[in-house]
Amino acid sequence: MDVIKELTDEEIVEKVRTSNQDLYSVIIDRYQKRLVRYVNNLIKNEDKAIDVVQESFIKAFVNLNNFNIEKKFSNWIYRIAHNQAINLAKKYQKETPLLEGWDFKSNDDIEKDFEEKEIKEKVEKCLNKIPLLYSEPLSLCYIDEKSYEEISDILRIPMGTVAIRINRAKKLMKNICQKN
Amino acid sequence: MSKELKNITNNVMNQIRQGRIKMRPKVYFIIGSILTFLGSISAFLISIFLIGLIRFSLRTHWGRGAQYKLDQMLSDFPWWIIIFAIISLTIGIWLIRKYDFSYKIKPRIIILGFILAIVVAGWMVDITGLNDNLFRSGPMKGIMNNYFQNNDTTLQPNWRK
Repeated sequence: MDVIKELTDEEIVEKVRTSNQDLYSVIIDRYQKRLVRYVNNLIKNEDKAIDVVQESFIKAFVNLNNFNIEKKFSNWIYRIAHNQAINLAKKYQKETPLLEGWDFKSNDDIEKDFEEKEIKEKVEKCLNKIPLLYSEPLSLCYIDEKSYEEISDILRIPMGTVAIRINRAKKLMKNICQKN
Repeated sequence: MSKELKNITNNVMNQIRQGRIKMRPKVYFIIGSILTFLGSISAFLISIFLIGLIRFSLRTHWGRGAQYKLDQMLSDFPWWIIIFAIISLTIGIWLIRKYDFSYKIKPRIIILGFILAIVVAGWMVDITGLNDNLFRSGPMKGIMNNYFQNNDTTLQPNWRK
């Protein structure tokens, strides 16, 4: 099992495609937490976010043979989750307030962990106050720690647009969130 | 929360193990890609042909009574082709954006590039005389014969001059 943990996403996907479908659970375990948080940021509903992520994993599995192994699986699965979430948001056309606390990666330093958690929670709460157009790339950049190129791949927008939106998002956050 | 996350893994993996969800075979995507590619090429070639046809029509009709002939051409013009072209172009761009990495280029550049490529290719085909061969002996012979009969005209060997 340790050997499998050391494999990259793309290597596991190749094994799932060719020999061992059970290994797909490793992929799910790696991404589900991050994806639920990401989708929750988009649709503001934890229960629906879990459903969306589950549907995304199913859709990804069904279309796994269409995934180009030379590209990053992470971007691909985020893109699927993004599409699923946007489809759902369009379907219901409503946003409900949220956000409760989320677990982030563990840290040995409890105090530092608490501070990080508090900052991230503040950022997430603040993100909800700015339009999705700007909050999504910002959250991908700072919460999911994606590069501009990866965000460009996930959102299917040029890298220049990613930079502009993140820049505007920062300004909006400064204006809106510092007042509170 | 972690319990619900655990459920995601269990739910998905149970469906896979029970065979309720299955991976689509590679051939499914290969055929899809081939059809998309062929569709794009066909749309491109048809557009080039139409440009050649329009240029041909303008040359054969222009001269005395040009206004009348222009009116006639406009009234005979198959306007549905434009609607078809717009719909095809919209679907084509949607497909390209969905399956390719063209999102890194602005949509208006893709559209302008596509139109420019068709116009230039159509013009090139026309001036190199490839149209003539197609009209005289190629796959368009039948269509052009009908065209000549309907317009009560014949294609002279030196019609381009």
